[in-house]
Amino acid sequence: MKRKNWTIALVSGLLSSLLILSACAPAATPAPEVVKETVVVKETVPVEVTQEVVVTATPAPPEPVTITFWHAYNEVSPENEMLTKTLIPMFEAEHPNIKVKSLAVPYDEFRQKLLTSMAGGVAPDLIRSDIIWVPELAELGALAPLDEVMPDFETYKAKVFPGPLSTNFWNGHYYGLPLDTNTRVWYWNKEMYEAAGIAEPPKTIDDVAAQCAAIKALGEDKYVFADGGTYAWAVLPWIWSFGGDITDPEITKATGYLNGPNTVAAYEFLLEFYKDGCLSPSVLGSGVDAGTGYAQDLYANYLDGPWMYPIYEAQFPEKQLHAVLMPAGDGGSISVVGGEDIVLLQQSQHKEAAMEFIRFTLSPEYQLKMAETGQLMVLSELLESDYIQNHPYYGIFLEQLKTAKARTPHPAWTKMDEIITNAGQAILREEKSVQQALDEAAAEIDALLASQ
Amino acid sequence: MSDRIRQRLGQTLLVLVLGMGALAVALPFIYMISTSLKGQVYVFEFPPRFIPSHPTLNNFVSAWQSNNFGRYFLNSLLVALVTTVLELLLSSTVAYAFARFEFPGKSVLYYTLLATLMVPGMMLIIPQFILASRLKLLNSLTGLILVYTAGGTAFNTFLLRGFFEQLPRELEEAALIDGGNYLTVFFRILLPLSTPALATVAIFTFLGAWDEYVWALTTINEPLKRTLPIAIANFHGTHASDWGLVFAGSLIAIVPVLIVFVLLQKYFIKGLTAGAVKG
Amino acid sequence: MNSTNTRSSGRRGTIRRRGRRRRVSLTPYLFLLPGMLLFLSWTVYPLLKAFQISLYDWNPIPGLASPFVGIHNYTRAFNDPIFWLALRNTLMYTVVTVAGQMLLGLTVALLVDRVTFGRTAFRTVYYLPVVTSWVVVSILFKYLFNSSPAGLVNYLLVDVLHLLPDYVRWLSNANTSWVAIMSLGIWKGIGWNMVIFLAALQGIPTELYEVAAIDGASGWQRLWRITLPLIRPTIVFVLVMLVIGGFQAFISIYLITGGGPMQRTEVLLSYMYNQGFKYLDFGYGAALSYLLAALIFGISFTQMHFLQRRIEY
Repeated sequence: MKRKNWTIALVSGLLSSLLILSACAPAATPAPEVVKETVVVKETVPVEVTQEVVVTATPAPPEPVTITFWHAYNEVSPENEMLTKTLIPMFEAEHPNIKVKSLAVPYDEFRQKLLTSMAGGVAPDLIRSDIIWVPELAELGALAPLDEVMPDFETYKAKVFPGPLSTNFWNGHYYGLPLDTNTRVWYWNKEMYEAAGIAEPPKTIDDVAAQCAAIKALGEDKYVFADGGTYAWAVLPWIWSFGGDITDPEITKATGYLNGPNTVAAYEFLLEFYKDGCLSPSVLGSGVDAGTGYAQDLYANYLDGPWMYPIYEAQFPEKQLHAVLMPAGDGGSISVVGGEDIVLLQQSQHKEAAMEFIRFTLSPEYQLKMAETGQLMVLSELLESDYIQNHPYYGIFLEQLKTAKARTPHPAWTKMDEIITNAGQAILREEKSVQQALDEAAAEIDALLASQ
Repeated sequence: MSDRIRQRLGQTLLVLVLGMGALAVALPFIYMISTSLKGQVYVFEFPPRFIPSHPTLNNFVSAWQSNNFGRYFLNSLLVALVTTVLELLLSSTVAYAFARFEFPGKSVLYYTLLATLMVPGMMLIIPQFILASRLKLLNSLTGLILVYTAGGTAFNTFLLRGFFEQLPRELEEAALIDGGNYLTVFFRILLPLSTPALATVAIFTFLGAWDEYVWALTTINEPLKRTLPIAIANFHGTHASDWGLVFAGSLIAIVPVLIVFVLLQKYFIKGLTAGAVKG
Repeated sequence: MNSTNTRSSGRRGTIRRRGRRRRVSLTPYLFLLPGMLLFLSWTVYPLLKAFQISLYDWNPIPGLASPFVGIHNYTRAFNDPIFWLALRNTLMYTVVTVAGQMLLGLTVALLVDRVTFGRTAFRTVYYLPVVTSWVVVSILFKYLFNSSPAGLVNYLLVDVLHLLPDYVRWLSNANTSWVAIMSLGIWKGIGWNMVIFLAALQGIPTELYEVAAIDGASGWQRLWRITLPLIRPTIVFVLVMLVIGGFQAFISIYLITGGGPMQRTEVLLSYMYNQGFKYLDFGYGAALSYLLAALIFGISFTQMHFLQRRIEY
């Protein structure tokens, strides 16, 4: 009997101490700044409104302040070298009261680390966020609406390319500014083309299809085109160049767009392409990746970004990259915009200092220096600069960027991407017909958008 | 056929079969070593070669010279060693209490211990982070040490308890009757007799702390405090995986574990099984 | 497991004196304190907090509203086809890898027990996979099972051993991906099983075999009638531990297929992780973790209850 009492006492002691522990908790969490209630605005298309903005110079904070900046550059990379050895010291010299601590977080773990840190109240001040995460994080309440918090936001807004800028817009506010941009261009394998007796790279999608037979004649393991999967980043250039799309401009539904005739035509083309042996099976997952296959003369063409140039220098120094625009379809030559935005976290205790750093990253000095490491700039004024005019390979990317479109800026994008990926897989594996797969995917996305 | 010859034949057959099995088991490692000696162009060459056509030590050099690799290595070493010592101390004391004493709450506590083995740790990461944040255990190697030690307590206690219970009590009881206290019994008699089991706990703990990735990545925000698995993950790039570099880095990381394993191997195999046989 | 121990410890050497005045000594608690304190604070609070999270549509940002949803996250799982798929995959993975590891581990143990040459070397090589990290070997196996002809497995099976007529796109399809994932699971565990069974085998007195040989028993009969029954407690222990481990498989699946293609290789843990960190649905992820824990608990309990029996010889 006594023994049972002891047990009860022990267990209740444990439980009560736990309750006390969890009750004590809220006191330690730093109180975040109150988010102003955002009014739900029907239109999600950014509306350009000219305003008179008085720009007041924000004085630097008096005592020394340390701000943290997380990014996904590889720790051992020219970008990180430039950032830590050149740019941050430059900023700190100009702003003696602000110290910047940057941290390289592997891309695959970035979200997990960020979310966990936010939950623990120790989020960084600034992050270089993939553009597709911005609406999601904004919806969560993690980001500060920069157009409200930053007095001279309009000045900076006017300086950047509109496409990358639009990736920061959600629900009536801008939650960041673009930091760097990129797109996919069409790399064609000159050596393989010469061996196949074709003089010119493809200009239209029909050209690509026509060139398949000659390329395949080079060998059984050769393919005209390769990519890593059927996710949006891979298929959108095709969909858009065929004149199709995922949703309507207001992002309310996918029916009529994702399963519309042009999108269906795009997927039907890809299916035929695959069945004819022109598209590498790496699109189903695994296999030799596109970049490596190009270097080994297995793949005649592939789409990718400007980072391939430094990568080739390091890994495949013997192979030359040749780039042209995405071959045009009925919708033109349209590629997909990638890039990163710099965003300010709501939990930040040093917003003034952080915004100073944001301004710095949008200065011509910063943008030009990062451009040397493969990070394409976002400032319109630099298009005319000597650097760009004389650059060995940025020209084609800037050309492609003129027509490139961004992926749907919506918090539900991660799920939408998954639905699109699965539809593409089902189509290529011939588990569903093109129309059926796209009809079902469109319905799923409709439901997703409706529930937001 | 005489018995001797039959025995010889049998032994030869055994060695052959075991040898083939061992080869199959070692094959992935052999290929890993081979790939670490290749440049990226050869990583997907056809036909794949075990002996590289253009062997190079570049990957190892690159890996070792990459930003702070040596520092990460030392951090991991420090964390793994201290965690091991702490874990040995804490789990052996707890196991001793369960093995040699009766007390109120014994069953409840023991079953709680066991039950936590069955809960997948992944989802606990956020509550644990919140807790670690409040206890100021974030962004420090000390924090890592405490967390790793706490995480291993259940399994190691389980293991050690089984072992302790098997040890004959006569020596301990004699010492107690002679006026010794429990502390001396524990340190002077029980622990020295338990080297096999302790070696087992040591290698499991060392291995666990050395390889742990997710928690270290999530809580460490300063590059100079990072541990080795993060360095290796950095070779697995966003845009293109440098397989040779990844494997070279991983091989460098395997070396300390192998050393610890080889050193403790004798003790360790005896220990693990003793805890298990009685169940 | 426990019943035998308490009985034996009750008979000799306890500190509790039976009688009218019961004095409970503090000593065991002093020994318990440091370890248990660390352990309890680290596991119990997070477990309770995770349960709390599972009852909400939880927003990770402190201070922002998280709507209370009660058991909705739990009932949601029952209507979620991917949850059931993940559960099926987890069960299948566990059954195959546990059986594979145990059979191979036992076989190797039996062989190593008998061999006289190179025992240490064999033991070391077979144990090597056990001491390497899951992250490293998962990446390794992803590379070995590459879908192209340049993948080592493809090359060996088709061009060298001529066991298969054509190359297999291992990681492009769910079924063949499982071959890669489960081979990894079995390969990694053989050594652990071998080592445990080896010691158990060494505990069997040789006289029993000699007597049986004299009585005319064949090798097979010796195996079935003597060896296996005598190592039964070990087999049960190994089984329980491996099943718990099998249900918690995560890193290999996450790194090799990521749960794809089309989420067909999801297991409960990878699905749970994705719910939380990919889709920001933490409440649902937490609920899934509790469902999984309940499952593991139930199965382990059943195993231990039905399979535990003392063996006399």
